[in-house]
Amino acid sequence: MISILIGTIAFAILAPVVGCLLSGFDRVVSARMQGRVGPPILQPYYDVRKLLEKEHASVNAAEGVYVTCALVFAVLAGGIFFGGGNLLMCVFVITLSSLMFIVAAYSTRSPYAEIGAHRETLQVMAYEPMVLLMAIAFFMATGSFDVNAVLGLDAPIITTAWLAFLGLLYILTIKLRKSPFDLSMSHHAHQEIVRGITTEMSGPTLAKVEIMHWYENVLFLGWIGMFFVWGSPISIALTLVVMVLVYLLEILIDNNFARVKWQLMLKSAWVVALLAGGVNIAVLAFL
Amino acid sequence: MLTVVFLILFPVLAALVLLVVRGEGARKVVSIGSALVIGAGSIVLAVQYLGQGPAFFYISSSYVDMACFAVDVVLMLAVISYGVKYRKWAAVGLAVVAIAMAAYFEFAVAHHAHVAQGLYIDDLSILMALIIGIVGSCICVYALGYMHDFQHHQPEGADDRRPAFFALMFLFLGAMFLIVFANNMAWMFTGWEITTVCSFLLIGYTRTEEAIENSFRQIIMNMLGGLGFCAALIYSGTYLGTLALDEFLSMGSVAGAAVAIPVTCLAFAGITKAAQMPFHTWLLGAMVAPTPTSALLHSSTMVKAGVFLLVKLAPVFAVCAVPAAMVMLVGCLTFLLCSLMAISQSNAKRVLAYSTIANLGLITACAGVGTPEAVWAAAFLILFHAIAKSLLFLCVGTAEHHIGSRDIEDMDLLFDRMPRLARYMMLGIMCMFIAPFGMLVAKWATLVSFAEADLVLLLVILAFGSAATFMFWAKWMGKLAGIAGQPENVEATVHKSEWSAMGLMALLIVACCMLMSVISACVVEPYIATVFGTFDEAISDWNVLISAILSVIVVAILFAGLGRGKAKKAGIYLAGASVDNEGRVFLGAMNKPQPATSRNWYMDSWFGEARLTKPGKVLCALVIVVALAAALMFPVGF
Amino acid sequence: MAFASKSPWVIHYDASSCNGCDIEVLATLCPGFDGERFGVINTGNPKHADIFLVTGSVNHQNIDVVKEIYDQMLEPKVVVACGICACTGGIFRDCYNVIGGVDKAIPVDVYAPGCAVRPEAIIDAIVEGVAVLDQKSKALKAQKKRGGE
Repeated sequence: MISILIGTIAFAILAPVVGCLLSGFDRVVSARMQGRVGPPILQPYYDVRKLLEKEHASVNAAEGVYVTCALVFAVLAGGIFFGGGNLLMCVFVITLSSLMFIVAAYSTRSPYAEIGAHRETLQVMAYEPMVLLMAIAFFMATGSFDVNAVLGLDAPIITTAWLAFLGLLYILTIKLRKSPFDLSMSHHAHQEIVRGITTEMSGPTLAKVEIMHWYENVLFLGWIGMFFVWGSPISIALTLVVMVLVYLLEILIDNNFARVKWQLMLKSAWVVALLAGGVNIAVLAFL
Repeated sequence: MLTVVFLILFPVLAALVLLVVRGEGARKVVSIGSALVIGAGSIVLAVQYLGQGPAFFYISSSYVDMACFAVDVVLMLAVISYGVKYRKWAAVGLAVVAIAMAAYFEFAVAHHAHVAQGLYIDDLSILMALIIGIVGSCICVYALGYMHDFQHHQPEGADDRRPAFFALMFLFLGAMFLIVFANNMAWMFTGWEITTVCSFLLIGYTRTEEAIENSFRQIIMNMLGGLGFCAALIYSGTYLGTLALDEFLSMGSVAGAAVAIPVTCLAFAGITKAAQMPFHTWLLGAMVAPTPTSALLHSSTMVKAGVFLLVKLAPVFAVCAVPAAMVMLVGCLTFLLCSLMAISQSNAKRVLAYSTIANLGLITACAGVGTPEAVWAAAFLILFHAIAKSLLFLCVGTAEHHIGSRDIEDMDLLFDRMPRLARYMMLGIMCMFIAPFGMLVAKWATLVSFAEADLVLLLVILAFGSAATFMFWAKWMGKLAGIAGQPENVEATVHKSEWSAMGLMALLIVACCMLMSVISACVVEPYIATVFGTFDEAISDWNVLISAILSVIVVAILFAGLGRGKAKKAGIYLAGASVDNEGRVFLGAMNKPQPATSRNWYMDSWFGEARLTKPGKVLCALVIVVALAAALMFPVGF
Repeated sequence: MAFASKSPWVIHYDASSCNGCDIEVLATLCPGFDGERFGVINTGNPKHADIFLVTGSVNHQNIDVVKEIYDQMLEPKVVVACGICACTGGIFRDCYNVIGGVDKAIPVDVYAPGCAVRPEAIIDAIVEGVAVLDQKSKALKAQKKRGGE
């Protein structure tokens, strides 16, 4: 409990710094991949500060409250994870955060935001099985749902749960809302549904959404990292390298694929969950 | 013991009074009074017996046995008379077989096995009694206002059958109490058959063609289950020499093979009652009844009797592979397929029905797993499902009377039109599927218990089913959450009795979420300790506590925080071509005003009933047939 | 320091342009000119944008749309008229259906003439618009402070 509290406070303070730099890194690398110079690495920070300076307007009085809830729950989910708490709890709280975000968009009744909300709901349905199976694979590999169990291992769980790791890698693209799975909203300009789920969120509310994405990105990379940690200090360095590599891979995918239709997203995500997650936990359970 | 007997008999008495009371005012007094007495009685019972372990009461009388038999026969005769009237020969045939079996049991078997302790009480039956006594009687109170409106919506001159309606509702409660308190399985069977026939009559209440059709579907399926129950009684009385539930269970948990046949039969009965595939269609059909009936059938009674029996049998499932596999597979398949089919439904009551069946599937699967953790999860699933589902049914019923539709698409802007109701409904929905509320915590425990038992297939099914659950609840909740302008508020005319019932349910949700660890420590864990001897908590107390705190925060925000922002009001983005921004009307390509409309996703071609019902039925029926055959052919050796 | 100048997000609206200027606006964001160096993002959504890039002249058909998009942008905001048609109505100014430049509908802060307007000119105009944005942002802050007291 104390560790979760400390974890939450530490995560609340540190994750935005990391998340912001990560996001800036993303934009610079993307620009370089496209043969551009790109913005300064602190650009996401400037964006958020600007948004906070803007006039506060909203289509209704509830939207901002929902978004704040989504942000707070995202922080809490990260705190639970980095505080060594229960992995399933972390998964459930981040799902609660997604729900709040979705309901915020629904509450505006804007046609564009509503389509974004529909698609976001679909995305949650697409990635949720794999996330749960990942948690189960974690349990079967470590014997506990507590994240801090990895610190007592002799070998990282990637050795036994690499299939589940690959599955997680697949749905990570959906969770990070990167192309080809950026159905509900895109980081790229001018989409057919405007800005999708965030269409009606403006100024400070949008700033909260951006910050929430920073938190989420750090948390999801934490999930990646969890596969590589064991009871040795070297593992931390290895984990950091892996996290950077995975993020680079995501950027590469983002820049090289056009958006897919929802049918393909749902079908492929579920098939991957079934094969990667299902087979992995079957192997862990029976062998 | 007096309290127990009182709780069984008082609702029956109330039912008799309500049957003769014709005036609406008098009915109101009697109903509310009886509901209060029953609710208070169940609380008194809990105070009396909680924490004292199981207590058995020496009560046995051949007169009571005979009376039970007589009730069985009368019920079946009633079914026969209806069956002849509406020319439903399958029902008639089954009823005749049921009478024959009951008579054989009564005269050839029952006297072999004398049950000295006819009634008992343990922590699980206290939990059930609280659910029946509080949630069930609350629904009866709600029904007062609802049935008043319902009668108004009926054509002029339609005869008023409300006395029978209320009598049946209360009789239902009495029968449920009998089921949860009876240690004599023959008595339990009588309660079982009363609930079957009561719900048959309640479903057919409107006497429309559809209602008749569906009520007969219900009675046929449940009589099949009843035959299974009766067969188990006959087997148990003949070969095991006992009809006492406690002896039967202790016999079973020591030597599973010996009871394989009766347990499989009982599990079959439980599956039909709990509306598991392939028998789920009766619960879907039950939707034609007035909403309080649905609320009663879905939340605190009827289907809960099925899962109660299965949970009771859980320690036997732990050592008896054939029925355990049957129950787990049927439960899990039902959970997955019904969750998926719920996505394709836009009728709110149908969504609720599918979600009920799915959650019962989960409870069934937990019972089949039969580990202490799984039973813990099952108990909390039963509790939270009962409260949340009854709240949702009451909300949908009230909404239907005030917006004229039970279609989720028509619930657009409910947050503005019926602000209080929409918040109750959102609370109910959130309690059903999202952390930190009770249902999700119970699902979490389910997942842990499956993982600890290495049940890979069940885990995979649970993962996919949970994803589907998110989809259909989230989109419904989103529909409710829409806010635009100031549409007319239509909730001023909601009856006080309806508000009080819904308010109490909402309060119960919050209280149970807050006090989950207390309920666990005082009610559920002692039960598991007496049945299994050991208990490892699936979820640590800290995590339960965090969930409790979070759920209070979410509820506070839902009821007090929303709508308090002070930002400048802005219009929505309509590509700059607004005609009426609040009504989201824009200037279309033909230079004409065009309203923007959007429907939720129903994905009928993926998850439609037409696509999934048949495979599900076939698969589950196959599982059941194979299991029954296996139990008969290899009664020992598993 | 105001952060408005560091992250000018734009929305582009084609009033009645011949598409010449539109292509140049998009070219501004492409690798050749890379407007993102200055933090420029094309949002396509008035609620997110700080700078309103209008191409083409205003006519009776689209004047309401221009106004509504402008109204839906949050303060501080800046309007850039891109191309000579947006500045004055250009060669179409005498058409029966044309009202004139964008300033007939909404207040314009920066004029970027050209037919078509060059990407360099657009970047130049945005950078100039950013200065205006800064001023407006400061004024807004001051106003907020006064309101708070």
